[in-house]
Amino acid sequence: MNGEIILPYLIIVPLFGAFSMPIVSLAGRKAREAWAVLVSGITFIVGSAIFYAVYENGPILYTLGAKNPFGQGAGFPIRIVWEVDLLSALMVLMVTFVAFLAVLYSIGYMRHDTGLDKYYTLVIILELGMLGIAITGDLFNFYVFLEIMSIASYALVAFRNDTWEGIEAGIKYMFVGSVASSFVLLGIALLYGQYGTLTMGYLAIKLAQNPTVVAKVALAFFIAGLLFKSGASPVHMWLADAHPAAPSSISAMLSGLVIKIGGVYALARILFSIYGASVSMKTVGWIIIIFACITLIIGNAMAVIQEDMKRLLAYSSVGQIGYILLGLGIGLAGYGTKAGEIAIAGAVYHTFNHALMKALLFLIAGAVIHELGTRNLNELSGLAKTMPKTTFAFLIGAAAIIGMPPLNGFASKWLIYESSATFNQVLATIAIIGTAFCTAAYVRVLYTFFGRPSEKVMKAKDPEASMLWPVVILALAIIIMGLFPWQISDKIMIPVARTLENQLGYVATLMGGA
Amino acid sequence: MNDGDMGVIVRTMARATIPLIGIFGAYVVMHGHLTPGGGFQGGTTIAGAGILFLIAFGLGEMKKRYNKNLYSALEGLGGLVFLGAAMLGIGVAFFYNTLWHNGPFFNGKPGTLLSAGYLPIMNLAVGLKVFTGLVSALTAIALWRRWKE
Repeated sequence: MNGEIILPYLIIVPLFGAFSMPIVSLAGRKAREAWAVLVSGITFIVGSAIFYAVYENGPILYTLGAKNPFGQGAGFPIRIVWEVDLLSALMVLMVTFVAFLAVLYSIGYMRHDTGLDKYYTLVIILELGMLGIAITGDLFNFYVFLEIMSIASYALVAFRNDTWEGIEAGIKYMFVGSVASSFVLLGIALLYGQYGTLTMGYLAIKLAQNPTVVAKVALAFFIAGLLFKSGASPVHMWLADAHPAAPSSISAMLSGLVIKIGGVYALARILFSIYGASVSMKTVGWIIIIFACITLIIGNAMAVIQEDMKRLLAYSSVGQIGYILLGLGIGLAGYGTKAGEIAIAGAVYHTFNHALMKALLFLIAGAVIHELGTRNLNELSGLAKTMPKTTFAFLIGAAAIIGMPPLNGFASKWLIYESSATFNQVLATIAIIGTAFCTAAYVRVLYTFFGRPSEKVMKAKDPEASMLWPVVILALAIIIMGLFPWQISDKIMIPVARTLENQLGYVATLMGGA
Repeated sequence: MNDGDMGVIVRTMARATIPLIGIFGAYVVMHGHLTPGGGFQGGTTIAGAGILFLIAFGLGEMKKRYNKNLYSALEGLGGLVFLGAAMLGIGVAFFYNTLWHNGPFFNGKPGTLLSAGYLPIMNLAVGLKVFTGLVSALTAIALWRRWKE
């Protein structure tokens, strides 16, 4: 299969779906829902095809507007390029899969809301922004897609604008997120002024030839802005408000995808592929590690004391981002060593796994809220009696996120523990403490669910098919991925880590034609 | 005077200037590939005419003239036309300007109105999208519930 031919459809299909949504929704509610499911389904098929093509044939370089990125007589890229290596392709697969399930889930979940034509348009635009971030090889193109994703998520967090918490969380998220985006834009402006190019691969060459203070200042802006977006600890406060207030299908996408694509993936891409050869990896790595450790402890510890189910899951997301950042930081600080490679593989693996687990958990939280109208854990005791399938799926998700051996979370966390123990014992201890808190938080929820049924719970029942199926599919994916942890790690995650570390390969893919 | 419309001088002046603003905006959109300006600048200018209408004649008059479904469908249409123009040359690459390289139209001498390939089409599409989007947004804000419930 030729990846170059199908790659643009990854953008065209959601863009077409979003632009035609106002026209399609004139035909009524059923048409609108069918259209949204169809568009995200086709995007999922395109995403899987691209993953397969990249896995089989290596990275894809796609130039917008011409056959190759170079102008006539110019030895440097002048056009916008999309560069999809194995890491990008994995992210594309993750985004299209979870977004498809979230759209499917929305049919039942959003039944009682109004303004759904805007809702589905925004969801598809959100997916589009994330896909663009994953595939782009151009720094300004990256910023545009980052803003598309961010603005769509501000609007979706505040979608239920008749609730006070939706508005409050939306405003908080919007102010914080806009500041973060402007940091990123400022960094891009500085780099453009200094080096005169915006193509990531070519910028890497210019940076390596002439490392300047401006480049370091720009890097500081990038790290600051993207840590905001990923919800790392000193700046995680927007996340704990935004995720509970959003509709659950959106929380699943925010927590599973947005914070990773807009934060962790972008950070990894900028640090490895652009700055790889021109800054001290060790210093940057340790900066990330410090934030990762704070995030790990604070996120997981705050999860233990929550009484609101979705807020608990949101803090748990912060904690898991800590693990991913820890892997990334060790990968930078231990660049070129075995521990560094395993750490990146673990971080990427955990990114993928956490997208599935947290999407599952948020979708279940949505089902519980939909049935019972409360998120307060104190009122949810004994849910296992009346919502057995949902509770069982929650058990799987919770066990996976803690890292129980037969499930997928085990392998990815093991890679991170192993690499951190080889790299630095203290970091391994911190990671273990984080997991202890995480376990406490989820055991607390499960203890509630399996307790004596309260009066409120008695009239609940399992949700309808369109809400149950995405949950079942995610739970199955977690179990099946859990059965082949080391095969997945060796076949996909280690090669992904190697492509990410291989900056020369990234540049060579771009400059191949010159 | 009803529902916040303005005095007779303002309304008369608005009657005279709204067509002028609209024509100037259309000029900016159409000459986007030749002079400064383009889809966004022209679109906001035309939306300025719409806002002048809303303010001078009041919300009641605007409600009669504004159709939400029409405007949101036109906004979608603007995006679709843009996407369609970008896809014309998909055989070579996304955003390949096949109209400019191969014709059949919009491939005149550079500097004339019918040149620059898909650019005039994209400018028109963006102008339409920006105009309908801004007018819809401001009408929706004007229609929002009153200060107190």
